[in-house]
Amino acid sequence: MTHRSIGQRSIGFLGKYWGIIGVLLLWQGWIWVKDLNAIVMPQPFDVVKDLVTHPGIYISNAALTLTLAALGLVLGMALGTLIAVLAWTSRLLSGVLIPLGLIFSSVPVVALIPILARLLGYDVKTVLAIVVIISFFPAFVFTSAGLRALPAGSDDLFRVFGASPWQRFVRLVLPSAVPSWMIALRLSAPPAVLSAMVAEFLMGTSGLGYMFRQSAADFQTDRAFGTSVVATAISVLCFTLATLAERRVNARWS
Amino acid sequence: MKLTRHQMQDLALGIIGILLFLIGWEMIGYYKLAGLTWPRFSTVMAYLFDPSRRGLFGRAMASSFSMILGGYVLGFVIGLGAAMLSYLVKPLQPGVDRLASTINAIPPIALAPLFIVLLSRDVTGMAIATINVFFVIYVAATSGLERSRQNHRDLFAVLGASRVKRLIRLDLPAALPSIVSGMKYATPAAFIGAILGEWFGASRGLGLLMVSAMQNFQIPLLWSAVFIASAASLIVFGLMSLLERFVHGRFS
Repeated sequence: MTHRSIGQRSIGFLGKYWGIIGVLLLWQGWIWVKDLNAIVMPQPFDVVKDLVTHPGIYISNAALTLTLAALGLVLGMALGTLIAVLAWTSRLLSGVLIPLGLIFSSVPVVALIPILARLLGYDVKTVLAIVVIISFFPAFVFTSAGLRALPAGSDDLFRVFGASPWQRFVRLVLPSAVPSWMIALRLSAPPAVLSAMVAEFLMGTSGLGYMFRQSAADFQTDRAFGTSVVATAISVLCFTLATLAERRVNARWS
Repeated sequence: MKLTRHQMQDLALGIIGILLFLIGWEMIGYYKLAGLTWPRFSTVMAYLFDPSRRGLFGRAMASSFSMILGGYVLGFVIGLGAAMLSYLVKPLQPGVDRLASTINAIPPIALAPLFIVLLSRDVTGMAIATINVFFVIYVAATSGLERSRQNHRDLFAVLGASRVKRLIRLDLPAALPSIVSGMKYATPAAFIGAILGEWFGASRGLGLLMVSAMQNFQIPLLWSAVFIASAASLIVFGLMSLLERFVHGRFS
């Protein structure tokens, strides 16, 4: 193992994070130049201070949002996979369902939130339903594509060996859908957090989105900014985890 | 364009799927299976195409679509510019990558108040659309720019082409299929950005119609506004898919 000097390490760090550091400096500089009030825009330092001194409120709300997002993601993907498998069994069903799935995944589903809010009521149930719907479409579309993308020749091999349809499905078709399934997971994870937050913002009674709205309404801008820092961190974390999972699965699978 | 028998069947089944969806929508509304907040498809269409509301929807569409288009163009230019810059000056790339993915991870509901302070309420939607489009285009363009063949690169090196010249003559054309795919996926992103932005206090636009209709229980208005946004996004997405098919056929 090579030991890198502190100087090399800090250059490596700067190389990766100069953009983010630059934005923070711009933010601070903007406040100094414009002499902005903390109600209009807090200083980066104040935001960090609020994060460090009140970790409890951030953690409890973040845990709530994360739980909702994760639960919704799992349910949505399970539902999407199930319907994709159902569609795979019948040419008629897939012909009818896949175009609809494509249509809905190219439509701004977030715009449906006001309708769902009216349909299901203003509470946690609706927030969950929204995350389920948002993660459903990518899971359905990608799983459907994956179930059809069999490795060349493998299907003939299974037929030659006289595999039953069920064996063919479990041993060949499902495994070959796993890589596309992982793409769906990576694509759905950040929007799941995002849509949970938007839904909480519009109609929630708890969670990060609600906390953001409350603190913005009370002019606690340092807390509002702190909430977005936490939300951003969660979103980055989810994306990174999904990408790592995808890489590991793909490494084992192909 | 000639369709095979198989494609004809797919097309027919797709149309049946859409018809079934619309009939289902109509039936749920007719029998009030989902309560009063689920109107019939025909009610929404009648509401949408009523001549007396042409002005209302026309103004909202003009405002939202101009914000979406503005955000799309701006996001495209910035995204492609950033990708080209980090391609030409390689040491910059890790930093730009991190910055782009961090900005993309900031939830728009947290960005909206910031833009309201920094810019104005009416262009907040455009700013969020810009950020959404920027990220998609940046990712698509950076991966596309790596796609030119090594032997072509060697040829350019041997003939003594500058990096800029290689970018324009070789790498950009090679990146075109990837960029066009990015443009396709940026379409819903632009719509989502603009509509979300309008939920936070724009004075006009489809997003404003949605939120005020939701709060005032104007159900046909709510569904009409969502329908317009979804249909418009779908149409642009479809056109982009055609463009994508053309470019992929020509350049890859």
